[in-house]
Amino acid sequence: MKVSTLPPSRVLPALELTGWRVRRRILSLLLGSLATATILQAQQPKPGDVTALDKQTLQLLLQRIDQLESRVRQLEAERQPAAVVSPAPGPTQKSTPPVNEPEQQAESQAESAVPERMDLSKTLLRLRGFGDITLHGDTRKGNTTAFTLGQLNLFVTSDISEKFKFLSEIVFEGGPDNIYGVTRGEINTFSVDVERYLIQYSYNDYLNVAAGRFHTAIGYYNTAYHHSTWFQTTTARPFLFQFEDRGGILPVHTVGASAFGLIPSGRLGLHYVAEVGNGRASRSPLTQEPVQNVVDDQNHKAFNLALFARPEAIRGLQVGFSVYRDLLAPINSPRIGETILAAHAVFVRPRFEWLNEALVVRHAIFGTSQVFNTPGFYTQFSRQLGYYRPYFRYQYVNASGTEPVFPDVRLRQGPSVGLRYDASESVALKLQYDYTASRARAAKNALALQVGFTF
Amino acid sequence: MPRRGAILHVFIGAGFLAGALSFASDLRPFIPSEPPTASEQNLAVVVNLSNPIENLSMAELRNLFLGERSHWPNGRRITLVMMEPGQPERAAVLGLICQMNESDFKNHFLRGLFTGEVFVSPKTLATPVGVRKFVFNVPGAIGYLRATDVDASVKVIRVDERLPEEKGYRLHIPPRPSK
Repeated sequence: MKVSTLPPSRVLPALELTGWRVRRRILSLLLGSLATATILQAQQPKPGDVTALDKQTLQLLLQRIDQLESRVRQLEAERQPAAVVSPAPGPTQKSTPPVNEPEQQAESQAESAVPERMDLSKTLLRLRGFGDITLHGDTRKGNTTAFTLGQLNLFVTSDISEKFKFLSEIVFEGGPDNIYGVTRGEINTFSVDVERYLIQYSYNDYLNVAAGRFHTAIGYYNTAYHHSTWFQTTTARPFLFQFEDRGGILPVHTVGASAFGLIPSGRLGLHYVAEVGNGRASRSPLTQEPVQNVVDDQNHKAFNLALFARPEAIRGLQVGFSVYRDLLAPINSPRIGETILAAHAVFVRPRFEWLNEALVVRHAIFGTSQVFNTPGFYTQFSRQLGYYRPYFRYQYVNASGTEPVFPDVRLRQGPSVGLRYDASESVALKLQYDYTASRARAAKNALALQVGFTF
Repeated sequence: MPRRGAILHVFIGAGFLAGALSFASDLRPFIPSEPPTASEQNLAVVVNLSNPIENLSMAELRNLFLGERSHWPNGRRITLVMMEPGQPERAAVLGLICQMNESDFKNHFLRGLFTGEVFVSPKTLATPVGVRKFVFNVPGAIGYLRATDVDASVKVIRVDERLPEEKGYRLHIPPRPSK
């Protein structure tokens, strides 16, 4: 292909030769270009703004790319067979900034937490164990010094979805059971109890609903401490809050439903708990499980309402009360109306605790004017000093000798002093001395050395 | 009997007295934090950009970081983001907001999980970049960063009506250790 060109020396003369029309066109073209350039320049931002905008946009785009890439990797990993553990990084992965393992896990958790779906390839269970072993002895005639295996507690939780959560305590414990003075079961054999079995639904901070077997919200201790001595400062629960199968006088467990949450109250921090359940078994004498897990011996249900405040002004303080109402129907006896009134004021901080609770169990026999009031209280305080936590507790309960439900309890009172030593984050050693005066029996001095742990 | 009653009263009295003395010694007056020194930096509390929350009091922050609140006012589930133990940012949050040490914090969550009162388990991330990404991705997330690590992908909220750069802001952290 040939292209003809004019030599430069002949260009201008050639233009001149074309006349004024050509000159006018060139002039208008130059003016037009100049005007367009000015307009475009006016539309562009200042250089500083350009840099800021570009940086922001770039950062957002890079973040978006990172998210998409990690999502793609996640999807690819899900599609690949299990044998392929670590696929070779592709060219796109090289450009990804290094992200360490926990972050990736957290991100994938975050992504999977948004839609509510069940991933069948993963377990939802979380497991935590608690246990204790005690060497104890006392001055009561007939009792021997012994090593005792405490409850082996498997605490299982599961975040089923964003709103639903499952919680259970599967406890292996040595016998025998002691139900209001009635002993049953083998002495040295272990049995399994499902102590808590609870599904919870959290709508918001003001409304949570739970169903299953749970600890009744009578007072403070029963819901603050469950089946683990490691959490407790002392070697054992206060007598008032002993479990039903260990001679306790309260319906510590129930099977039913509960609602709990905050009450809009600003800095006062009011909370409520409302419970309905089967209540305790009332057949007498008790030879069966006192907690009615499967069958209720009557249609009447037990109710409990608790209110407590955690004021913002004094962090760690909780004051509250509860009212529990049930109807017991022992065999060959008139029915008994049961009312339990409890009040508490506790102050708990990591370095200090001061627990005070008082309650009265009222049993009114139907068709008569007989009413049995059983008052009880305990006070307990402790202070953390480095790894050591000395503590003191005084407890008291006074039941009538003709009390229709727990005639064996009578008057019991006495102090306990002890020292807890946190040998590690998960192991606590406790040494405790108890003096228990009793109306029915001689006073008892007891000493216990316990190791409690979580694993 | 009168002697037994007297002993009982002595025990109860001693118990209450010791409790009251310990209680009084544990109640320390609130001392407002000092302004940051030249080497200190401010700690910014950050949430997802879609979160309408603008301000939180220190008491509300404490409730949030201790898992005692499970939902934002808009109904979103709260996801708590913590940095790994040993990071100065985490130490500042534990000390200034939660008023606990590492061991107390772990125990608090374990106990809360055990009692069923705590619905929120913290996500632990290693770096500020990880925290930013997580908060950017999860609508209900709340975390914390050095003010210098904050970018436009997260929203900084006021603490007691103050932003990190404002006078009187109470959350400060020591400088990042040089490697």
